[in-house]
Amino acid sequence: MPTRGTLIYIAQRLLLIVFTLLAVSFLVFITVHSLPGSAFESERVHGKALQLVLHQYGLDRPILVQYWSFLTSAIQGNLGVSFQIRGLPITPLVMRELSVSAELGGTALLITIGIGTTFGVLAAMRQNTWVDYTLTSIAVVGYSVPSFVLAGLGELIFAYWLPTVTNGAIQYPANWTGTYGTLVELSLPAIILGFYTSGQVTRITRAAMLEVLQQDYIRTARAKGLKTRVVTVRHALRNALIPVISILGPLVISIITGSVIIENIFGIPGLGKEFVESILGADYNVTVAVFTVYALLIGIANLIVDLLYTVVDPRIRY
Amino acid sequence: MTDPILEVRNLSTHFFTDDGEVKAVRGVSFSVAPGETLGIVGESGCGKSVTAMSVLGLVQRPGKVVSGEIMFRGHDLLKLTREELRNIRGRDIAMIFQDPLSSLNPVLRVGYQIDEAMYAHDKIASNAVERRGIDLLKQVRVSDAERRIKDFPHQFSGGMRQRAMIAMGLSNKPDLLIADEPTTALDVTVQAQILELLRDLNEQTGAAIILITHNLGVVAGLCKRVLVMYAGEIVEEGTVEQIFESPQHPYTWSLLRSVPRIDANRGHRLLSIEGLPPDLIDLPQGCKFNPRCPFRVERCFTESPPIEQVAPAQHAACWVTMERAYAEMGAGTITDTSPGAASGVHPAGRSLPPAEVPAAIAEPVSD
Repeated sequence: MPTRGTLIYIAQRLLLIVFTLLAVSFLVFITVHSLPGSAFESERVHGKALQLVLHQYGLDRPILVQYWSFLTSAIQGNLGVSFQIRGLPITPLVMRELSVSAELGGTALLITIGIGTTFGVLAAMRQNTWVDYTLTSIAVVGYSVPSFVLAGLGELIFAYWLPTVTNGAIQYPANWTGTYGTLVELSLPAIILGFYTSGQVTRITRAAMLEVLQQDYIRTARAKGLKTRVVTVRHALRNALIPVISILGPLVISIITGSVIIENIFGIPGLGKEFVESILGADYNVTVAVFTVYALLIGIANLIVDLLYTVVDPRIRY
Repeated sequence: MTDPILEVRNLSTHFFTDDGEVKAVRGVSFSVAPGETLGIVGESGCGKSVTAMSVLGLVQRPGKVVSGEIMFRGHDLLKLTREELRNIRGRDIAMIFQDPLSSLNPVLRVGYQIDEAMYAHDKIASNAVERRGIDLLKQVRVSDAERRIKDFPHQFSGGMRQRAMIAMGLSNKPDLLIADEPTTALDVTVQAQILELLRDLNEQTGAAIILITHNLGVVAGLCKRVLVMYAGEIVEEGTVEQIFESPQHPYTWSLLRSVPRIDANRGHRLLSIEGLPPDLIDLPQGCKFNPRCPFRVERCFTESPPIEQVAPAQHAACWVTMERAYAEMGAGTITDTSPGAASGVHPAGRSLPPAEVPAAIAEPVSD
């Protein structure tokens, strides 16, 4: 039941996202076009032939004109064509890669929230016992070991030492859409991707729970004769989630940036892999498209996080 | 005399901190009759709240009940399992707390928090809970209860929150309601309303009330019997008239003299009790009040006075008692209430040598 104020707030935020996308796409457009080299350098086309190719892609026009034509077609859902695979439309390519990355990132986010809050609550309930020490140690490992180290280790163990266990699952065909056998295939990269963020959520949840459990209303809840489980989940955890939600925005960004590394190490054909390849190949249009999609994702994720606040904490209203 | 509903015997609760063992409650015994209103008064940190929390088993680590018995309906609450005790909390013995803002969960609706107490126990049929929630809110005089029950605590005023707390406490028709400083965080007019409400509820529902407060006026307004606590012990016990009209323990006497009165001469300074309550980790020898007592005698430094009957239904733990202080030390007229001022007794090595002490007691110091 969103109030009128909430709807206005959402509209404002969406408008802000539009402006952000304009700014990001413009800056990225200018930047990638000023990079040295071009997509056609390796193809040994010179002189008139090169001019012809550049003209074909409209790259001989002034840069602002190019941006304008990118923008007008992007608004209609057409993000242009790839230079590397000549003439391949980018929109369906990016959409397919987005679905793969979203699946990977979404699984990592679920792992983050599920494992992170569970570990955090258990650690707080058993403060200064072996349970607490074990879980906080896992969390510390999670947020101190870089994901590329864990990813390399995971590949070594599951793809090299134990290939039979995974049944060759850690191999992703180039046009993979993530639609078959998905969870098995994504579980290892998703766990590694969510490990860092789970550690952060564990840490924040534990600290928040310890603080909340000292509050007067927890004493009231116990004095009412509520069961420990009810006191912990309904009274303590709901309040402890408020600081957890506040770090959710940065964590989503961590997952997105982490996915770039993980996808490249595991060879998952998602947005993050395309991101690196397009930059290396000077495939300007793809780079701009991927950047813009990332900006959109982060904008929407932050909006959702801010709306989640109002769900968990009734004192917050927009 | 009916059997007491609650009988606390020799209760001691200590906190095991890094700095040492804080002996917050030491050997406290008292009882509450059905329907009775008992006040527990004392300064901050004297162990009133810890006593109440001990009764409900709500003392958190590092605190622990180290000895004693808490008999409720023939069962020792300290020997019950966690589940058995949980079943008594909020159902047979309810407790309401000091700061109604921090004592209500900010993210749950007020009605939900009231109903939840009833769902947790089987005393109220679950299909009657919501109706009773609204009725309770009406009973504690929250206007527009049907609508306000859906509010969150931050939408309530301080007085309304305390009323909601009381409604919560009464929801399961408890036999005993423990109110820990229920009026402290409220302004005076609201305080009076809450006290009146508690008095009405006591008369209507017959629930016994233990009222914990540092405010003597609040006790006078609601309670029939009073316990005075000092440094974790009960120093005096009596009817409200006895405590206010003929206090026998010097601490009670001093406490009463430190209350501002509208009919007092404005030129007079309020008498404060000099010094601070003792460190509960490192307690003084003998009577715990001796470092601050104007009427102390030599014996107070060596032997702890037992609580003894000083009048019908009145008990005090003091070697001197005010009766003697009035008769021998001129307590009625003294203006200097500094430690040892009336008796002239000072610890060995200070102003008066011990040998002179008996003489000093024999003669009234002033007048």
